[in-house]
Amino acid sequence: MGIREALGALLGTTALPKANLDKLFAISSASVTMQSEFNLVPAPRAGICFKPIESSQYDEARTEIEELLQFSSRETGSSFRIVTDEYRFTWVILEDPDFDDLVGGIHLVSQTLIEKGFGDYLLCAIFRFEKGKPVYWVYHFKLGRFYPFIPLDGKTRDSAMEFRVRSLLEKDLPIEKEIAKWYPLWGIPL
Amino acid sequence: MVRWAKDRGLQVRMIGTMFLIALVYFIFIAVLAYIGIDSLLLLLIVTGMILLQYFFSDRMVLLSMGARVVTEQEEPRLYETLTRLCSIAGIPRPKLAIVNSAIPNAFATGRNAKNSVVAVTTGLRSTLNQEELEAVLAHELSHVKNRDVMVMTLASLISTAAFFIFRNSLSASRVTSGRGGKQNLWFIIPVFAAAVWVISYLLIKALSRYREFSADRGSAVLTGRPSQLASALMKISGMMDRVPKDDLRKVEGMNAFFIIPALSGSSIMALFATHPSVEQRIAALDRIEKELAGRGD
Repeated sequence: MGIREALGALLGTTALPKANLDKLFAISSASVTMQSEFNLVPAPRAGICFKPIESSQYDEARTEIEELLQFSSRETGSSFRIVTDEYRFTWVILEDPDFDDLVGGIHLVSQTLIEKGFGDYLLCAIFRFEKGKPVYWVYHFKLGRFYPFIPLDGKTRDSAMEFRVRSLLEKDLPIEKEIAKWYPLWGIPL
Repeated sequence: MVRWAKDRGLQVRMIGTMFLIALVYFIFIAVLAYIGIDSLLLLLIVTGMILLQYFFSDRMVLLSMGARVVTEQEEPRLYETLTRLCSIAGIPRPKLAIVNSAIPNAFATGRNAKNSVVAVTTGLRSTLNQEELEAVLAHELSHVKNRDVMVMTLASLISTAAFFIFRNSLSASRVTSGRGGKQNLWFIIPVFAAAVWVISYLLIKALSRYREFSADRGSAVLTGRPSQLASALMKISGMMDRVPKDDLRKVEGMNAFFIIPALSGSSIMALFATHPSVEQRIAALDRIEKELAGRGD
Protein backbone atom coordinates (compact mmCIF):
# COMPACT_ATOMS: atom_id res chain seq x y z
CA MET A 1 0.00 0.00 0.00
CA GLY A 2 1.46 3.34 -1.01
CA ILE A 3 1.42 6.42 1.17
CA ARG A 4 -1.40 8.03 -0.80
CA GLU A 5 -3.67 5.03 -0.44
CA ALA A 6 -2.82 4.74 3.25
CA LEU A 7 -3.65 8.41 3.76
CA GLY A 8 -6.82 8.01 1.74
CA ALA A 9 -7.87 5.05 3.82
CA LEU A 10 -7.16 6.97 7.05
CA LEU A 11 -9.16 10.01 5.96
CA GLY A 12 -11.89 7.96 4.38
CA THR A 13 -11.36 9.58 1.01
CA THR A 14 -10.18 6.45 -0.68
CA ALA A 15 -10.54 6.67 -4.43
CA LEU A 16 -11.14 3.69 -6.65
CA PRO A 17 -8.01 2.39 -8.30
CA LYS A 18 -7.55 3.74 -11.80
CA ALA A 19 -7.83 1.55 -14.83
CA ASN A 20 -4.36 0.41 -15.79
CA LEU A 21 -3.40 -0.59 -19.33
CA ASP A 22 0.34 -1.03 -18.74
CA LYS A 23 0.46 -4.80 -18.80
CA LEU A 24 -2.18 -5.44 -21.45
CA PHE A 25 0.33 -6.01 -24.24
CA ALA A 26 1.97 -8.86 -22.30
CA ILE A 27 -0.73 -11.16 -23.71
CA SER A 28 0.79 -10.66 -27.18
CA SER A 29 4.12 -12.27 -26.35
CA ALA A 30 2.47 -14.78 -24.00
CA SER A 31 0.29 -16.01 -26.87
CA VAL A 32 3.43 -17.12 -28.69
CA THR A 33 4.48 -19.25 -25.70
CA MET A 34 0.96 -20.58 -25.31
CA GLN A 35 0.85 -21.72 -28.93
CA SER A 36 4.33 -23.16 -29.25
CA GLU A 37 4.62 -24.85 -25.85
CA PHE A 38 1.09 -25.78 -24.84
CA ASN A 39 -0.98 -25.83 -28.06
CA LEU A 40 -3.23 -23.12 -26.70
CA VAL A 41 -4.50 -21.47 -29.88
CA PRO A 42 -5.78 -17.89 -29.74
CA ALA A 43 -9.32 -17.41 -31.06
CA PRO A 44 -9.73 -14.49 -33.46
CA ARG A 45 -11.96 -12.70 -30.95
CA ALA A 46 -11.46 -10.58 -27.87
CA GLY A 47 -13.74 -8.36 -25.84
CA ILE A 48 -13.90 -5.49 -23.43
CA CYS A 49 -16.53 -5.53 -20.73
CA PHE A 50 -17.65 -2.35 -19.02
CA LYS A 51 -20.26 -1.35 -16.49
CA PRO A 52 -23.61 0.09 -17.57
CA ILE A 53 -23.27 3.80 -18.14
CA GLU A 54 -26.17 5.98 -17.02
CA SER A 55 -28.66 6.61 -19.80
CA SER A 56 -27.89 10.30 -20.32
CA GLN A 57 -24.23 9.61 -20.92
CA TYR A 58 -24.72 6.29 -22.57
CA ASP A 59 -25.95 7.33 -26.00
CA GLU A 60 -23.15 9.79 -26.39
CA ALA A 61 -20.56 7.26 -25.26
CA ARG A 62 -21.92 4.54 -27.47
CA THR A 63 -21.88 6.78 -30.53
CA GLU A 64 -18.32 7.76 -29.79
CA ILE A 65 -17.21 4.17 -29.36
CA GLU A 66 -18.93 3.13 -32.55
CA GLU A 67 -17.38 5.95 -34.52
CA LEU A 68 -13.99 5.09 -33.15
CA LEU A 69 -14.40 1.41 -33.92
CA GLN A 70 -15.62 2.11 -37.43
CA PHE A 71 -12.58 4.25 -37.98
CA SER A 72 -10.08 1.79 -36.53
CA SER A 73 -11.63 -1.25 -38.18
CA ARG A 74 -11.10 0.42 -41.53
CA GLU A 75 -7.43 0.73 -40.56
CA THR A 76 -6.80 -2.79 -39.33
CA GLY A 77 -9.44 -4.76 -41.19
CA SER A 78 -11.02 -6.08 -38.03
CA SER A 79 -14.74 -6.14 -37.33
CA PHE A 80 -16.63 -5.37 -34.15
CA ARG A 81 -19.98 -5.68 -32.46
CA ILE A 82 -21.46 -4.26 -29.28
CA VAL A 83 -23.66 -6.44 -27.08
CA THR A 84 -25.35 -6.08 -23.71
CA ASP A 85 -25.31 -9.10 -21.41
CA GLU A 86 -27.69 -10.37 -18.75
CA TYR A 87 -26.00 -8.24 -16.08
CA ARG A 88 -26.65 -5.17 -18.31
CA PHE A 89 -22.90 -4.82 -18.82
CA THR A 90 -21.75 -3.69 -22.26
CA TRP A 91 -19.29 -5.69 -24.34
CA VAL A 92 -17.28 -4.48 -27.28
CA ILE A 93 -16.22 -7.55 -29.17
CA LEU A 94 -13.51 -7.33 -31.78
CA GLU A 95 -12.74 -9.89 -34.44
CA ASP A 96 -9.46 -10.08 -36.24
CA PRO A 97 -7.49 -13.08 -37.50
CA ASP A 98 -4.24 -11.39 -36.45
CA PHE A 99 -3.79 -11.69 -32.68
CA ASP A 100 -1.46 -8.69 -32.36
CA ASP A 101 -4.00 -6.50 -34.18
CA LEU A 102 -6.64 -7.81 -31.82
CA VAL A 103 -4.61 -6.82 -28.77
CA GLY A 104 -3.87 -3.45 -30.38
CA GLY A 105 -7.56 -2.92 -30.99
CA ILE A 106 -8.47 -3.78 -27.40
CA HIS A 107 -5.82 -1.38 -26.18
CA LEU A 108 -7.06 1.37 -28.47
CA VAL A 109 -10.69 1.06 -27.38
CA SER A 110 -9.83 0.98 -23.68
CA GLN A 111 -7.44 3.88 -24.09
CA THR A 112 -10.16 5.95 -25.77
CA LEU A 113 -12.71 5.07 -23.09
CA ILE A 114 -10.26 6.23 -20.43
CA GLU A 115 -9.52 9.44 -22.33
CA LYS A 116 -13.22 10.19 -22.64
CA GLY A 117 -13.57 9.83 -18.89
CA PHE A 118 -15.09 6.36 -18.79
CA GLY A 119 -12.06 4.70 -17.22
CA ASP A 120 -13.99 3.90 -14.04
CA TYR A 121 -16.50 1.90 -16.03
CA LEU A 122 -13.93 -0.43 -17.52
CA LEU A 123 -14.12 -3.87 -15.95
CA CYS A 124 -12.00 -6.29 -17.91
CA ALA A 125 -10.69 -7.34 -21.28
CA ILE A 126 -10.99 -10.97 -22.25
CA PHE A 127 -8.90 -13.00 -24.65
CA ARG A 128 -10.06 -16.38 -25.76
CA PHE A 129 -7.80 -19.36 -26.41
CA GLU A 130 -8.74 -22.91 -27.22
CA LYS A 131 -7.46 -26.25 -26.07
CA GLY A 132 -10.41 -28.55 -26.63
CA LYS A 133 -12.42 -26.11 -24.55
CA PRO A 134 -12.23 -22.34 -24.27
CA VAL A 135 -9.48 -21.00 -22.03
CA TYR A 136 -10.00 -17.33 -21.22
CA TRP A 137 -7.43 -14.85 -20.00
CA VAL A 138 -9.14 -12.07 -18.10
CA TYR A 139 -7.30 -8.75 -17.88
CA HIS A 140 -8.71 -6.93 -14.89
CA PHE A 141 -8.19 -3.23 -15.59
CA LYS A 142 -8.04 -2.13 -11.96
CA LEU A 143 -5.72 -4.87 -10.83
CA GLY A 144 -3.65 -4.38 -13.98
CA ARG A 145 -3.09 -8.14 -14.06
CA PHE A 146 -4.38 -11.23 -15.80
CA TYR A 147 -5.99 -14.37 -14.50
CA PRO A 148 -7.16 -17.54 -16.24
CA PHE A 149 -10.78 -18.62 -16.41
CA ILE A 150 -11.84 -21.99 -17.79
CA PRO A 151 -15.61 -22.47 -17.55
CA LEU A 152 -17.26 -25.88 -17.58
CA ASP A 153 -20.94 -26.68 -17.85
CA GLY A 154 -23.38 -25.27 -15.33
CA LYS A 155 -21.41 -22.44 -13.73
CA THR A 156 -18.50 -24.62 -12.68
CA ARG A 157 -14.89 -24.07 -13.61
CA ASP A 158 -11.85 -26.24 -14.22
CA SER A 159 -9.69 -24.85 -11.42
CA ALA A 160 -7.12 -27.62 -11.74
CA MET A 161 -6.40 -26.57 -15.31
CA GLU A 162 -6.50 -22.88 -14.36
CA PHE A 163 -3.72 -23.48 -11.82
CA ARG A 164 -1.76 -25.37 -14.41
CA VAL A 165 -1.93 -22.69 -17.09
CA ARG A 166 -1.02 -20.23 -14.36
CA SER A 167 2.15 -22.09 -13.49
CA LEU A 168 2.99 -22.52 -17.18
CA LEU A 169 2.70 -18.82 -17.98
CA GLU A 170 3.94 -17.22 -14.78
CA LYS A 171 7.05 -15.94 -16.52
CA ASP A 172 5.29 -14.43 -19.53
CA LEU A 173 2.22 -12.84 -18.01
CA PRO A 174 1.64 -10.65 -14.96
CA ILE A 175 -0.84 -12.95 -13.22
CA GLU A 176 -2.93 -12.00 -10.20
CA LYS A 177 -1.40 -13.85 -7.24
CA GLU A 178 -4.47 -13.75 -5.03
CA ILE A 179 -6.61 -16.66 -6.21
CA ALA A 180 -9.58 -15.25 -4.30
CA LYS A 181 -9.73 -12.46 -6.89
CA TRP A 182 -10.06 -14.78 -9.86
CA TYR A 183 -13.76 -13.97 -10.26
CA PRO A 184 -15.51 -15.91 -13.01
CA LEU A 185 -17.61 -14.35 -15.77
CA TRP A 186 -20.35 -16.76 -16.68
CA GLY A 187 -21.67 -16.70 -20.22
CA ILE A 188 -18.90 -14.68 -21.88
CA PRO A 189 -20.29 -13.58 -25.27
CA LEU A 190 -17.18 -14.50 -27.28
CA MET B 1 12.40 -51.86 -11.51
CA VAL B 2 12.21 -48.24 -12.43
CA ARG B 3 15.32 -46.11 -12.36
CA TRP B 4 14.46 -42.71 -10.96
CA ALA B 5 14.71 -39.98 -13.55
CA LYS B 6 17.14 -37.52 -12.03
CA ASP B 7 16.78 -33.85 -11.42
CA ARG B 8 20.35 -32.58 -11.24
CA GLY B 9 19.55 -29.19 -9.73
CA LEU B 10 17.53 -30.81 -6.98
CA GLN B 11 20.25 -33.33 -6.24
CA VAL B 12 22.93 -30.67 -6.09
CA ARG B 13 20.87 -28.65 -3.61
CA MET B 14 20.13 -31.75 -1.57
CA ILE B 15 23.75 -32.83 -1.37
CA GLY B 16 24.76 -29.25 -0.60
CA THR B 17 22.29 -29.12 2.27
CA MET B 18 23.44 -32.45 3.67
CA PHE B 19 27.02 -31.27 3.46
CA LEU B 20 26.15 -28.09 5.37
CA ILE B 21 24.38 -30.13 8.04
CA ALA B 22 27.43 -32.36 8.42
CA LEU B 23 29.68 -29.30 8.55
CA VAL B 24 27.60 -27.64 11.26
CA TYR B 25 27.66 -30.86 13.27
CA PHE B 26 31.38 -31.28 12.84
CA ILE B 27 32.05 -27.74 14.05
CA PHE B 28 29.71 -28.34 16.96
CA ILE B 29 31.47 -31.47 18.15
CA ALA B 30 34.91 -29.94 17.55
CA VAL B 31 34.07 -26.90 19.67
CA LEU B 32 32.59 -29.06 22.43
CA ALA B 33 35.76 -31.12 22.47
CA TYR B 34 37.85 -27.96 22.56
CA ILE B 35 35.97 -26.58 25.53
CA GLY B 36 36.35 -29.91 27.24
CA ILE B 37 32.85 -31.25 27.39
CA ASP B 38 32.65 -34.98 27.29
CA SER B 39 30.36 -34.98 24.30
CA LEU B 40 30.90 -38.66 23.72
CA LEU B 41 28.61 -39.69 26.56
CA LEU B 42 26.00 -37.19 25.51
CA LEU B 43 26.14 -38.35 21.92
CA LEU B 44 25.77 -41.93 23.08
CA ILE B 45 22.65 -41.04 25.03
CA VAL B 46 21.16 -39.12 22.15
CA THR B 47 22.08 -41.85 19.69
CA GLY B 48 20.39 -44.38 21.95
CA MET B 49 17.25 -42.27 22.02
CA ILE B 50 17.31 -41.78 18.29
CA LEU B 51 17.85 -45.50 17.72
CA LEU B 52 14.86 -46.24 19.92
CA GLN B 53 12.90 -43.76 17.91
CA TYR B 54 14.29 -45.23 14.72
CA PHE B 55 13.18 -48.74 15.56
CA PHE B 56 9.88 -47.92 17.18
CA SER B 57 8.88 -44.78 15.34
CA ASP B 58 6.56 -46.61 12.99
CA ARG B 59 4.51 -47.93 15.87
CA MET B 60 4.75 -44.63 17.74
CA VAL B 61 3.60 -42.65 14.74
CA LEU B 62 0.77 -45.02 13.98
CA LEU B 63 -0.34 -44.94 17.59
CA SER B 64 -0.20 -41.17 17.86
CA MET B 65 -2.10 -40.71 14.61
CA GLY B 66 -4.69 -43.30 15.55
CA ALA B 67 -3.91 -45.31 12.44
CA ARG B 68 -5.24 -48.84 12.17
CA VAL B 69 -3.38 -51.34 10.02
CA VAL B 70 -5.87 -53.04 7.72
CA THR B 71 -5.72 -56.40 5.96
CA GLU B 72 -5.90 -57.13 2.28
CA GLN B 73 -9.44 -58.47 2.71
CA GLU B 74 -10.62 -55.23 4.26
CA GLU B 75 -9.13 -52.95 1.58
CA PRO B 76 -8.69 -55.02 -1.59
CA ARG B 77 -8.71 -52.03 -3.92
CA LEU B 78 -6.07 -49.97 -2.10
CA TYR B 79 -3.85 -53.03 -1.63
CA GLU B 80 -4.14 -53.86 -5.30
CA THR B 81 -3.00 -50.35 -6.25
CA LEU B 82 -0.21 -50.51 -3.68
CA THR B 83 1.01 -53.89 -4.96
CA ARG B 84 1.15 -52.66 -8.53
CA LEU B 85 3.08 -49.50 -7.60
CA CYS B 86 5.52 -51.49 -5.44
CA SER B 87 6.31 -53.91 -8.21
CA ILE B 88 7.04 -50.98 -10.53
CA ALA B 89 9.20 -49.35 -7.86
CA GLY B 90 10.94 -52.63 -7.03
CA ILE B 91 10.33 -52.51 -3.29
CA PRO B 92 8.56 -54.97 -0.96
CA ARG B 93 4.97 -54.01 -0.32
CA PRO B 94 4.48 -52.05 2.90
CA LYS B 95 1.43 -52.49 5.11
CA LEU B 96 -1.50 -50.18 4.74
CA ALA B 97 -3.18 -48.27 7.55
CA ILE B 98 -6.31 -46.17 7.68
CA VAL B 99 -6.71 -43.11 9.90
CA ASN B 100 -10.24 -42.18 10.79
CA SER B 101 -10.06 -38.45 10.08
CA ALA B 102 -11.97 -36.16 7.78
CA ILE B 103 -8.82 -34.17 6.97
CA PRO B 104 -7.34 -35.48 3.72
CA ASN B 105 -3.79 -36.59 4.44
CA ALA B 106 -1.34 -39.44 3.99
CA PHE B 107 2.02 -40.41 5.45
CA ALA B 108 4.61 -43.14 5.34
CA THR B 109 6.60 -44.43 8.28
CA GLY B 110 9.12 -47.15 9.05
CA ARG B 111 12.88 -47.47 8.85
CA ASN B 112 13.00 -49.63 5.75
CA ALA B 113 10.68 -50.87 3.06
CA LYS B 114 9.94 -54.12 4.86
CA ASN B 115 8.83 -52.44 8.07
CA SER B 116 7.04 -49.57 6.42
CA VAL B 117 3.44 -48.59 6.77
CA VAL B 118 1.67 -46.28 4.38
CA ALA B 119 -1.32 -44.60 5.97
CA VAL B 120 -4.17 -42.66 4.41
CA THR B 121 -7.04 -40.86 6.12
CA THR B 122 -10.66 -41.61 5.37
CA GLY B 123 -10.91 -37.95 4.32
CA LEU B 124 -8.30 -38.51 1.64
CA ARG B 125 -10.22 -41.42 0.23
CA SER B 126 -13.46 -39.49 -0.01
CA THR B 127 -11.81 -36.35 -1.43
CA LEU B 128 -9.73 -37.90 -4.19
CA ASN B 129 -10.62 -40.06 -7.16
CA GLN B 130 -8.84 -43.33 -7.92
CA GLU B 131 -6.07 -41.80 -10.07
CA GLU B 132 -5.29 -39.07 -7.57
CA LEU B 133 -5.25 -41.59 -4.73
CA GLU B 134 -2.80 -43.69 -6.69
CA ALA B 135 -0.56 -40.64 -7.20
CA VAL B 136 -0.56 -39.92 -3.45
CA LEU B 137 0.24 -43.56 -2.63
CA ALA B 138 3.09 -43.40 -5.15
CA HIS B 139 4.39 -40.26 -3.43
CA GLU B 140 4.42 -42.06 -0.07
CA LEU B 141 6.06 -45.13 -1.60
CA SER B 142 8.77 -42.87 -2.99
CA HIS B 143 9.46 -41.70 0.56
CA VAL B 144 9.82 -45.38 1.50
CA LYS B 145 12.07 -46.11 -1.44
CA ASN B 146 14.23 -43.05 -0.80
CA ARG B 147 14.48 -44.12 2.88
CA ASP B 148 13.45 -40.69 4.03
CA VAL B 149 12.72 -41.76 7.61
CA MET B 150 16.32 -42.89 7.99
CA VAL B 151 17.79 -39.85 6.24
CA MET B 152 15.78 -37.39 8.28
CA THR B 153 16.47 -39.25 11.55
CA LEU B 154 20.21 -39.15 10.90
CA ALA B 155 20.06 -35.53 9.85
CA SER B 156 18.33 -34.49 13.04
CA LEU B 157 20.56 -36.56 15.35
CA ILE B 158 23.00 -33.87 16.46
CA SER B 159 20.43 -31.14 16.14
CA THR B 160 18.57 -32.92 18.90
CA ALA B 161 21.80 -33.23 20.89
CA ALA B 162 22.45 -29.51 20.53
CA PHE B 163 18.97 -28.80 21.79
CA PHE B 164 19.53 -30.95 24.88
CA ILE B 165 22.86 -29.29 25.58
CA PHE B 166 21.22 -25.91 25.26
CA ARG B 167 18.52 -26.84 27.75
CA ASN B 168 20.83 -28.51 30.24
CA SER B 169 23.45 -25.80 30.09
CA LEU B 170 20.82 -23.25 31.03
CA SER B 171 19.67 -25.11 34.12
CA ALA B 172 22.91 -26.68 35.32
CA SER B 173 25.72 -24.71 33.83
CA ARG B 174 28.40 -25.64 36.34
CA VAL B 175 27.40 -29.00 37.67
CA THR B 176 29.21 -30.97 35.04
CA SER B 177 32.22 -28.68 34.90
CA GLY B 178 35.47 -28.88 36.75
CA ARG B 179 37.48 -31.40 34.83
CA GLY B 180 40.20 -29.10 33.68
CA GLY B 181 38.47 -27.78 30.62
CA LYS B 182 38.56 -24.21 29.49
CA GLN B 183 36.31 -22.88 32.23
CA ASN B 184 36.20 -19.37 30.90
CA LEU B 185 34.44 -20.58 27.76
CA TRP B 186 31.53 -22.20 29.56
CA PHE B 187 29.29 -19.20 29.25
CA ILE B 188 29.20 -19.45 25.48
CA ILE B 189 27.89 -23.00 25.47
CA PRO B 190 24.16 -22.17 25.67
CA VAL B 191 24.51 -19.55 22.94
CA PHE B 192 26.60 -21.81 20.79
CA ALA B 193 24.34 -24.83 21.24
CA ALA B 194 21.29 -22.70 20.48
CA ALA B 195 22.94 -21.36 17.33
CA VAL B 196 23.79 -24.87 16.17
CA TRP B 197 20.28 -25.99 16.89
CA VAL B 198 18.67 -23.10 14.96
CA ILE B 199 20.97 -23.41 11.95
CA SER B 200 20.64 -27.17 11.72
CA TYR B 201 16.88 -26.85 12.22
CA LEU B 202 16.61 -24.59 9.16
CA LEU B 203 18.88 -26.85 7.14
CA ILE B 204 16.86 -29.93 8.10
CA LYS B 205 13.67 -28.20 7.01
CA ALA B 206 15.28 -27.36 3.68
CA LEU B 207 16.40 -30.97 3.29
CA SER B 208 12.87 -32.11 4.09
CA ARG B 209 11.47 -29.87 1.34
CA TYR B 210 13.95 -31.30 -1.16
CA ARG B 211 12.92 -34.82 -0.14
CA GLU B 212 9.31 -33.83 -0.83
CA PHE B 213 10.19 -32.64 -4.32
CA SER B 214 12.02 -35.92 -4.80
CA ALA B 215 9.02 -37.94 -3.69
CA ASP B 216 6.78 -35.90 -6.01
CA ARG B 217 9.14 -36.73 -8.84
CA GLY B 218 9.09 -40.38 -7.79
CA SER B 219 5.30 -40.39 -7.87
CA ALA B 220 5.32 -38.83 -11.32
CA VAL B 221 7.69 -41.50 -12.60
CA LEU B 222 5.79 -44.38 -10.97
CA THR B 223 2.37 -43.37 -12.26
CA GLY B 224 3.54 -41.62 -15.41
CA ARG B 225 0.92 -38.97 -14.69
CA PRO B 226 2.29 -35.98 -12.78
CA SER B 227 -0.95 -34.08 -13.35
CA GLN B 228 -2.84 -36.51 -11.09
CA LEU B 229 -0.59 -35.70 -8.15
CA ALA B 230 -0.91 -32.00 -8.97
CA SER B 231 -4.66 -32.21 -8.90
CA ALA B 232 -4.57 -34.26 -5.66
CA LEU B 233 -2.35 -31.61 -4.04
CA MET B 234 -4.77 -28.89 -5.07
CA LYS B 235 -7.67 -30.76 -3.54
CA ILE B 236 -5.82 -31.65 -0.33
CA SER B 237 -4.57 -28.11 0.21
CA GLY B 238 -8.03 -26.62 -0.20
CA MET B 239 -6.68 -24.44 -3.01
CA MET B 240 -9.73 -25.31 -5.09
CA ASP B 241 -12.02 -23.80 -2.47
CA ARG B 242 -10.27 -20.43 -2.61
CA VAL B 243 -11.27 -19.90 -6.23
CA PRO B 244 -14.33 -17.63 -6.18
CA LYS B 245 -17.65 -18.67 -7.71
CA ASP B 246 -19.38 -15.28 -7.73
CA ASP B 247 -19.45 -13.46 -11.02
CA LEU B 248 -17.04 -10.55 -11.44
CA ARG B 249 -19.91 -8.33 -12.59
CA LYS B 250 -21.81 -9.14 -9.42
CA VAL B 251 -18.95 -8.34 -7.04
CA GLU B 252 -17.95 -5.22 -8.96
CA GLY B 253 -20.17 -3.15 -6.66
CA MET B 254 -17.84 -3.93 -3.79
CA ASN B 255 -14.69 -3.17 -5.69
CA ALA B 256 -13.41 -0.73 -3.09
CA PHE B 257 -12.08 -3.83 -1.37
CA PHE B 258 -9.62 -4.30 -4.19
CA ILE B 259 -7.58 -1.47 -2.74
CA ILE B 260 -6.58 -3.43 0.32
CA PRO B 261 -3.48 -5.30 -0.66
CA ALA B 262 -3.62 -8.93 0.29
CA LEU B 263 -0.98 -10.07 2.70
CA SER B 264 1.10 -12.17 0.41
CA GLY B 265 4.75 -12.92 1.06
CA SER B 266 5.18 -16.00 3.20
CA SER B 267 8.90 -15.99 2.55
CA ILE B 268 9.87 -16.22 6.23
CA MET B 269 7.36 -18.91 6.97
CA ALA B 270 8.64 -20.83 3.96
CA LEU B 271 11.99 -21.23 5.77
CA PHE B 272 10.33 -23.20 8.54
CA ALA B 273 8.06 -25.31 6.38
CA THR B 274 8.71 -29.02 6.06
CA HIS B 275 6.87 -29.09 2.74
CA PRO B 276 7.31 -26.76 -0.23
CA SER B 277 4.29 -24.68 -1.15
CA VAL B 278 1.65 -26.38 -3.24
CA GLU B 279 2.25 -23.83 -6.00
CA GLN B 280 5.95 -24.75 -6.15
CA ARG B 281 5.17 -28.45 -6.17
CA ILE B 282 2.64 -28.08 -8.97
CA ALA B 283 5.07 -26.02 -11.00
CA ALA B 284 7.72 -28.74 -10.53
CA LEU B 285 5.24 -31.44 -11.52
CA ASP B 286 4.38 -29.51 -14.68
CA ARG B 287 8.05 -29.41 -15.60
CA ILE B 288 8.26 -33.18 -15.07
CA GLU B 289 5.21 -33.66 -17.26
CA LYS B 290 6.92 -31.77 -20.07
CA GLU B 291 10.05 -33.89 -19.57
CA LEU B 292 8.03 -37.11 -19.75
CA ALA B 293 6.22 -35.92 -22.85
CA GLY B 294 9.51 -35.03 -24.50
CA ARG B 295 11.04 -38.44 -23.81
CA GLY B 296 7.99 -40.42 -24.85
CA ASP B 297 8.25 -39.45 -28.50
